[in-house]
Amino acid sequence: MNRGFFLFGIWCLIVTAGFAYASFAGYSPFADGARSTAARGPGGIIILPGGRGARDARHK
Amino acid sequence: MVPDPPEDDRPNPWGRSDEAEVAPAAPTDRHVVTVAGDDAPAAEQFNCPNCGGTIEVKAAGYTVSIACQYCGSVLDISNADVRIVARYEEEVRKLELPLGSRGTLRGIEWEVIGYLRRSENAAYPWDEYLLFNPYHGYRFLDTDGRGWSLGRQLTVAPQSLAMAGFTVEGEFYEPFYAQTRAQVDYVLGEFYWQVAVGEEALTADYVRPGKMLSWESNAREVEWTLSELLEPNEMTDAFGIDPPRGGGLPLPHQPSPYREKAGKMLKLALVAAAAIILVTFLFGGTSDPQTTTIRLATNGVEQEAKIGPIELTRPRQAVTVSARAPGIDNAWVDLAYLLVERNSGIVYEASNVVEHYSGYDGEGNWSEGSDGSSSKFSMVPAGTYDLMVEAAGSQWLEGQYAPSNGADVEVTIAKGATFFSNLIFALLLVMAPALWVWFKHLNFESRRKSDSDFGGGDDDDDDDDD
Repeated sequence: MNRGFFLFGIWCLIVTAGFAYASFAGYSPFADGARSTAARGPGGIIILPGGRGARDARHK
Repeated sequence: MVPDPPEDDRPNPWGRSDEAEVAPAAPTDRHVVTVAGDDAPAAEQFNCPNCGGTIEVKAAGYTVSIACQYCGSVLDISNADVRIVARYEEEVRKLELPLGSRGTLRGIEWEVIGYLRRSENAAYPWDEYLLFNPYHGYRFLDTDGRGWSLGRQLTVAPQSLAMAGFTVEGEFYEPFYAQTRAQVDYVLGEFYWQVAVGEEALTADYVRPGKMLSWESNAREVEWTLSELLEPNEMTDAFGIDPPRGGGLPLPHQPSPYREKAGKMLKLALVAAAAIILVTFLFGGTSDPQTTTIRLATNGVEQEAKIGPIELTRPRQAVTVSARAPGIDNAWVDLAYLLVERNSGIVYEASNVVEHYSGYDGEGNWSEGSDGSSSKFSMVPAGTYDLMVEAAGSQWLEGQYAPSNGADVEVTIAKGATFFSNLIFALLLVMAPALWVWFKHLNFESRRKSDSDFGGGDDDDDDDDD
């Protein structure tokens, strides 16, 4: 088998397997949401960075 | 008259031609050299009437014309009396394949017995070697410096097709070189036909990958020759000569070195693409949706809502939050999402906007935007989550911003997501190498056909080969 073709086969396998894993784990580098650096304070108050104010996560 | 030699970098093979017209021959002795127990045609020897050198005729009985390998004089030996057709006096050209050299090509041992230098009025020169095997007859070895082809004369004329091509043995040959006039510039060795410097013939060529069909016509006959392109190592193995240096345009019948590879890679890429799409269907999509409706305030104040709990059981998974505001027009809704895990306090955030505008101008009605949007969270860990939603509506009223008009916004959260960006990225990764090789194949074919008289392009193609 041609070496280049073999390497391309490996490449396709890696991409397909990586895509399958990403799909299963729900990973995307292009996702909209991201983990926030916000912290939840006492009483369930979420303190957002950048002065966006406080949110009560539990009692809305 | 013998024409001037072609302008190339080779030494002048002609020397000075003292006699172009037919010269009377001096009587010369010819005697047959037989080999006991051999059924092959006998060899024959005689002395060149011009220089006295001993000439051995390899294909005695078939050869009618011979160019002395010592002085280059062309002799007619079709009759018992050897006749000088053209007399030369100086040293003959050194050939890449010397006369008498033997080599085995495709299982048959051949001896080089003749050499022709041909051209189109001194342009586009090429070399033709006549090979002989007493049991298999004659073959031609052609080269113009870019590769070697082994040709055999056809005994049956090819079948002409309406597509301006020909078929031989069920294979179609497309036209490549249109009819042109070729001439013999130099000749050495023996031939089974009368040959002389300056002899002209009309030629045309037809090709398919790896093969060339050549038509040649002169006042006496029409000949068809079928040539097969030899691998460089075949000539090296057979005659010990260096392979062609390459470069320049591909040969007319040179198969694309990328075609087979590109085809295989494209097939494999398509299989991988199909697998990727299948995976998208298997692992993509959403499930367990939960929806809430937010009534936008008319005073521009942010409205808030919570959806939950949402139980995520897999170690990592995506979450999709979508919003629809079908009642908005020339307005937009800013949305902020906080996905909060109840126990650990981990927070994921995203923001989006739903906007829709429409109007009328000189070109008629127009609209842009849509009444929906979606945000996707990636690799959210297992846990119990609440989704906090903030929605604030605005509208563009009479040329200025204004509070919303009180439309409803439906917000839905669901487990899972289909990342089309992932899909496109993965498809690109598997298809790009195959498409690149295919592009190289197309580029090779384009360069090959650029030399053609039929549908070719620029003849001044550069010399950078892949």
